[in-house]
Amino acid sequence: MSNTSQLYSDADLLYVSLSDRTVTRKPIPEDLYKDYLGGRGLGVKLLYDNLAPGIDPLSPDNWLIFAVGPSTATSVPTAGRFVVITKSPATGGVFDSHAGGYFGAQLRRAGIAAVIITGASTSPVYLWINDDQVEIRDASKVWGKDTDVTTDELIKATDEKAQVACIGPAGENMINLAAIMTDKHRAAGRGGVGAVMGSKKLKAIVARGTKKIGVVDPEKLSTAVKRARLLIKKNGITSKALPVYGTPVLVNVVNELGMLPTHNFQEGTFNDADGVSGEKLLERLSRKNYNCYGCPIGCGRMSRARGKDVGGPEFESIWSLGPQCGINDLEWIAIANDKCNLLGIDTISVGSTIGCVMELVQRGKLEHSLKFGDTTGILEMIEDIAHARGLGAELGKGSKIIAKQYGAPELAMQVKGLEIPAYDPRGVQGHALGYATSNRGGCHLRSYLIGPEVMGSPVLVDRDSTDGKADLVILYQNLSAAMDSMVVCRFTNFAWTVDDYADMVAACTGLSIDGKELLKIGSRIWNLERMFNIREGFTKSDDALPPRFSTPLPEGASRNRVAQIDVMLPEYYSLRGWDKEGNPSSKLLKELNIPIER
Amino acid sequence: MVITMEELAQTIDHTVLKPETTRNKVKQLCEEAMTYNFAAVCINAVHVEYAVELLKDSSVKVCCVVGFPLGATLPQVKAMETREVVALGAHEVDMVMNVGALRDENFDLVKRDVEAVVAASGDAHVKVILETGLLTDDQMVKACLICKDAGADFVKTSTGFGPMGATPHDVRIMRETVGKSMGVKAAGGIRTFKEALRIIDAGANRIGTSSGIGIIEDYRWAQYSDSWMQPDKPCWTCPSRMANIAKQPKEVYLWYKQRCLTCPDKEHNVFTD
Repeated sequence: MSNTSQLYSDADLLYVSLSDRTVTRKPIPEDLYKDYLGGRGLGVKLLYDNLAPGIDPLSPDNWLIFAVGPSTATSVPTAGRFVVITKSPATGGVFDSHAGGYFGAQLRRAGIAAVIITGASTSPVYLWINDDQVEIRDASKVWGKDTDVTTDELIKATDEKAQVACIGPAGENMINLAAIMTDKHRAAGRGGVGAVMGSKKLKAIVARGTKKIGVVDPEKLSTAVKRARLLIKKNGITSKALPVYGTPVLVNVVNELGMLPTHNFQEGTFNDADGVSGEKLLERLSRKNYNCYGCPIGCGRMSRARGKDVGGPEFESIWSLGPQCGINDLEWIAIANDKCNLLGIDTISVGSTIGCVMELVQRGKLEHSLKFGDTTGILEMIEDIAHARGLGAELGKGSKIIAKQYGAPELAMQVKGLEIPAYDPRGVQGHALGYATSNRGGCHLRSYLIGPEVMGSPVLVDRDSTDGKADLVILYQNLSAAMDSMVVCRFTNFAWTVDDYADMVAACTGLSIDGKELLKIGSRIWNLERMFNIREGFTKSDDALPPRFSTPLPEGASRNRVAQIDVMLPEYYSLRGWDKEGNPSSKLLKELNIPIER
Repeated sequence: MVITMEELAQTIDHTVLKPETTRNKVKQLCEEAMTYNFAAVCINAVHVEYAVELLKDSSVKVCCVVGFPLGATLPQVKAMETREVVALGAHEVDMVMNVGALRDENFDLVKRDVEAVVAASGDAHVKVILETGLLTDDQMVKACLICKDAGADFVKTSTGFGPMGATPHDVRIMRETVGKSMGVKAAGGIRTFKEALRIIDAGANRIGTSSGIGIIEDYRWAQYSDSWMQPDKPCWTCPSRMANIAKQPKEVYLWYKQRCLTCPDKEHNVFTD
């Protein structure tokens, strides 16, 4: 073990070319981390500068970046996460997908800011990072194996203290719903990042690091962290709701507001919501909490279902495999969620796509036994999706493609090709705008306005009003981009304000960053992502929700509402400094130090 | 309204009044009050001596509730409680008014009750909790006038244990009634800076809350957007919307609900929000 502590500025970018099997370490450029911090921002910048427009995301031309940030493996709470950044096969745009667990901390302790995978191997491999030693190893023995077996076998083959990020059969078969799994049940789930990994024949990255992590101003960080931990302790969501119930605490809350998508968003109220709620999970299946690295919240669950210990299920997974498909069997949902984890599939997109197919069947567009409320055959269908077999191969492309294929594109509940998560946008106007404008598509985490619009954090704002929502969406989008580049967990957002993040990142890096500067970094990242997507052909028409959300919900506490994107979007563009077509102005790009490329 | 974080902190009585409160919790409360420079800690009588000791070198006052939470005890008992806690060092006393007497229109008894506490309070400030959720607007006005006449320093909305918390509507009426010479303390259900600012805007100069830290910390969000303070549906902050027949006298409940029928914002009262 090294006795000297390593600053983030001394961490390396690890370039791994799988085509010619070379590994190169390069220092992280100063202007890169000053302008983009790390994580998501760093990855987006590297992709923007190095990917040619129009490349096939599943070709060797695509890059797959695993990145951590300046706060990773320091004392900053929740800072053990990692980000996967790539061009998404699901959306065709830039994409970042995040996972908790313990892998990120190992990567950083190995002296790495980002692993940049280029090219593709001709045979299955895994990457073994053991501090300064990096090997590309044969993975043929674990190719085809589920993520749990893969994890166990690769730890056995390397170091018992190593951490693994791997794909399952879904990634190997390059399906658009494929996730990258770590610690067996934490997922960088969205956007088909697992498919990109599979396209490179990279089964896993195994990391073990023993370096001490230093920060530029330990005293300042100690003060900021002490305060940050106190705020988590004093906040009801982070100290009670999430530790006690986990994320499924939201099932009843969202259902009460009539915005728990049911039967592929045909309704917003699920009659059996209580049966699949966080309260019921606690009573029936939950065994213990799961804390990711450095996390004092512990929102993760370990459950026992049908005699098996399983991870989760989380709120989004309960929704997608439950109400979205009309299913009220919590124990079955836990098992289906576990199957997705083993196969390496994004639970949100797979459940949403199955729900979409159920509606295709309901409306006579497709003949199949899948029907709302019936679990029969779904576990087998999930297997077929992962292995790209039969109808499963079609589902594996995601709801946008399969709905179009069967003549009903309006039945796909997606934005930019990514399935929308568990909040009906008709019941939350700001969140709806967040869905429509998200650079990575239908995502709840790019601007989590559920905080203010539903949970009253930091204050309750009228969920039905469009006034001021563009402003709040931009604030949350910019802050989230910065948080994703530090890299810390989104749930800290309930307890911390912009200034807290700025204090911690400033202490870690020594950069002169206050709250406003942090938001500017977030804005820079957001606008660069926008430019990437524009370069790929995205237009204003992609900042839209499916037509279903222009039709009111028939009943429940969000009835008679529609998502008023057309009201909010012009103001959003204007406040962003974009023209009426959603293009960032040259002046803005110059202010943000983004290279102008039209 | 422009108010600094420090000014906002100076309006807050950092409060813990739950029966299960331990000494450890009181210690934490006092430490937090000193850290944030709150106006006072608001506690039950059993913790006064300890809090006075903890706060002896600070500017944070010790506020103790009396006749709490029902206000239904005898004036002499409230007076004795007051003498005892003031002798232990309490700087402020939050007494609960005899609500039943007010509803009986036994105004003399209400006044004597307040006067007894004022007489026993020495240099300590006396705040009178009206429990506004049990009163109509006219009764609230009458109560305010009695408290002013009896020499109280503040009128206060609620105990936090009653049928309703503080609303801007109630605070506005209380301020209009007592004028600038008295204080108005709002308590009950104030958990965010948005609620706190609205209550202050309505006329409160003291806020009783157990969410003081959250209010102050979250107030830092205000510098990054003006949209937090966008108007909500009017019903959200209206006491009529919060009326509850299970917790209020029938005629008070009906009085609140009948106001809805003639409310100019009636069209907003549609959804379960």
